[in-house]
Amino acid sequence: MTALVTGRRADGGAVRGAPARRGPTFPRVLRSETTRFTSLRTNGWLVLGTVAAAAAVAYGLGLFVRPDDGRSGSWVVTSGFVLAQLGFLVLGALVATADHTTGTARTTFTAVPRRLPVLLAQVVVTTVVALVTGALALVASWVATVPVRAADAPALDLAVPGTARALLGLVLAGVGVALLGLGLGALLRRPAGAIVGGLVLVLLADQLLAANPGRFTDTLRASLPSAGARLLQDDATLAALDATTRGPQLGVWGGGAVLAVWVVVVLAAAGYRLVRHDVR
Amino acid sequence: MIEVEALTKRYGSTTAVDGLTFTARPGTVTGFLGPNGAGKSTTMRVVVGLERATSGTSRVDGRRYADLPAPLHAVGVMLDARSAHPGRTAYKHLLSLAQTHGIGRARVREVLGQTGLEAVARRRAGTFSLGMGQRLGIAGALLGDPRTLVLDEPVNGLDPDGVLWVRRLVRELAAEGRTVLLSSHLMHELALCADRVVVIGRGRLLADASVQEVVDRSERAGTVRVRTTDPERLARELLAAGAEVTPQEGGALHVRGATVDDVGTAAQRCGAAVLELAAEQVSLEDAYLQLTADAVEYRAAGASGGAR
Amino acid sequence: MSAAVAAPGVRSDARRGPTFPRVVASEWTKLVSLRAPWWTGGVTVVVAGVITYLSAQASSVDLGFDPVDSLGTGLALAQVGALVLGVLAGAGEFRTGAARTTFTAVPRRWPVVAAQALVTAAFAAVVAVLSVAASVVGILPPAARRGIEVDLWAGETPGVMLGMGLFVVGLTLLGLAIGVLLRRTVPAMVTTLVVALVLPVLLTMVGPPPLPADPAVLEPVAQVTVGGTLMVLSPGGAAQLMTFPASSGPMEGGPDIGPVGGGLVLAAWVLVLLVAAALRLRLRDVR
Repeated sequence: MTALVTGRRADGGAVRGAPARRGPTFPRVLRSETTRFTSLRTNGWLVLGTVAAAAAVAYGLGLFVRPDDGRSGSWVVTSGFVLAQLGFLVLGALVATADHTTGTARTTFTAVPRRLPVLLAQVVVTTVVALVTGALALVASWVATVPVRAADAPALDLAVPGTARALLGLVLAGVGVALLGLGLGALLRRPAGAIVGGLVLVLLADQLLAANPGRFTDTLRASLPSAGARLLQDDATLAALDATTRGPQLGVWGGGAVLAVWVVVVLAAAGYRLVRHDVR
Repeated sequence: MIEVEALTKRYGSTTAVDGLTFTARPGTVTGFLGPNGAGKSTTMRVVVGLERATSGTSRVDGRRYADLPAPLHAVGVMLDARSAHPGRTAYKHLLSLAQTHGIGRARVREVLGQTGLEAVARRRAGTFSLGMGQRLGIAGALLGDPRTLVLDEPVNGLDPDGVLWVRRLVRELAAEGRTVLLSSHLMHELALCADRVVVIGRGRLLADASVQEVVDRSERAGTVRVRTTDPERLARELLAAGAEVTPQEGGALHVRGATVDDVGTAAQRCGAAVLELAAEQVSLEDAYLQLTADAVEYRAAGASGGAR
Repeated sequence: MSAAVAAPGVRSDARRGPTFPRVVASEWTKLVSLRAPWWTGGVTVVVAGVITYLSAQASSVDLGFDPVDSLGTGLALAQVGALVLGVLAGAGEFRTGAARTTFTAVPRRWPVVAAQALVTAAFAAVVAVLSVAASVVGILPPAARRGIEVDLWAGETPGVMLGMGLFVVGLTLLGLAIGVLLRRTVPAMVTTLVVALVLPVLLTMVGPPPLPADPAVLEPVAQVTVGGTLMVLSPGGAAQLMTFPASSGPMEGGPDIGPVGGGLVLAAWVLVLLVAAALRLRLRDVR
């Protein structure tokens, strides 16, 4: 307490802040965002909860699958995504809003006044974390469904067309939903709003529209981020979906592309708001 | 060096800052004084680039804040005691901030030591008292060893020890040639540690003067209490000097329009023995009202010229 | 004040502590002085009207179009607003630290929970009436275009409208109960969304997938399944039952408990959660 000024000052450095010192480069901001993410206990629990939710739901639903249901082995493994996607959404939303809801934004953006590098670093961190979470969820779901697949549920057969993609789809769709949550969070700056809005976009609107099939509603369904869940379907299911829809047929990767477009647009809007609007 | 010129900030129809101009110079502690809601925090947020000015400019070391190559090394900022995530430890909070500028862990530990937070460095910021949060904010401001410091109400919530520590800290930082801009709504606080004060009210500049000038001015606005062996003679002497005198019980007088020095010398002149002499505490409200009334005169006399 | 001084020892009525009506009045002031309830309430009403209109419009080309069938479609999305309203009303107090003030004023605490439930229900009732009205307005243009006269007082329609109203109030209270129980906005919001919205979707995935819709071979599934039963007993599924007429039969795979049964299941959930919240308040510290 008595040493008021740094020891380094004692070396006679009368010049404060030699101009040669460099500021917030992108790798530095990325390192900072990584520290921010890993230093919050909530985030660890969130990743764990997401993995557990995926595995538990896959196991639970697997118990009720009968051989003649028309469900595939990949469906059994990835079915937990319906609940786990909320975990990805919350993850992204919290990364983006934690600064704004706690007042940390003032510290963050005085250190990085150009602001955009912070959002980009958050995109990178969220992508990596979502990839890891998705991979863990996939492994956990696979392990959890070993007993049910050994019983009545269909076995996981990589020879079934599209199975490998459907398994990978759990990870990819998870990343997409997490980034959507990040974009909505950065745009709205409130976690509750981002989570509710995100859930409507990735799940509820689709459910509502499904009750009213028609050309207009099917087109709308195909253009919502919820189309990203098609990444989790094998070829046969996708073909069946495309055969019954009265809207555009999205094919194998179309659903993922729709989700990606949403992510890019929402993140761009968030970036615009971040740069243009005052930070409180 | 902070230069604010004709700065105006509006939120919808409310004007928070209205044509404010002032300069905070290296080697001095510039106090930023005004009642709550006067626009101090808004001005500071504009200075550090968190908010955009409606019109006017603000420069740090001759540049816009956003154009500073290394903001943390140029300006240390503490705007709010609650500016760390409650779930993050003090150490990790500072580390993440340091990493944006490639500042090492050693420096993080150094500022933790400097602000007396080593013992609680591994505790979550959410468990901190207001005073500890304030220290953490100051630690963040010192992190980049900056040439300029912007501190919003730094003594808020500190215990008497902490208040003394902040006063000494800002004096030392200024003595090293740094620019310190420090806001407060307490006149006596600034009187103890600032060289110059910039007084604002309702977003407008009311005074930009040395502390002594402002203190003298407000002392003249306040009352001096004097008890003497010969109240009548002293009262006559003071009235002749143009002061306003109100007799009190027990031979005491309340004098307005004269400083303690004035009353003391007057007593000596007329040979009345002084038993007690003190300036009654001038409330900020009094000083502030006085400044509002004298605003035009002050602006004319002020070093940086008028706002309008 | 002067009365108390004039007659010391006499208990003046003005000096009594927080009676229940006073707590209710205080909670009402707190609720309506915030912006969030008005926003969420307004959005709920607008969404109910607009979605009902769009849905009825989309169905109006069908041969057997009955406008009254579309009445509840808007609420399927508008229920999100009701849930959010409840969560914010319940958890907002703790998020902002206002709970410290409230519970020092009312140290027994449980009257606060009861009062919060009461005023939130009252506010939600207004939102519910307006949402139902907006839904009715939503079906009128498509009905007029087809030349169908809408009779709101015929058959089961009054019952359906009542059920829709209670659906909004019930879900708001569900959100409130979870909000008060968990005390933090984000966890409470996520829990509420899972329980009320994601769980029903998940339960439809239990068992074989539905066959492609073919109206010609549509036959009622009389069999009660595990998924269907859980659906009816879940807060979200039970709430949905309230918006269907009694004659529409059970949900797929669920026991036939009708709209009244659905309402009772939802009420039981709300009550259990509110009691749990009140117990937690009594037993744990407020920070």
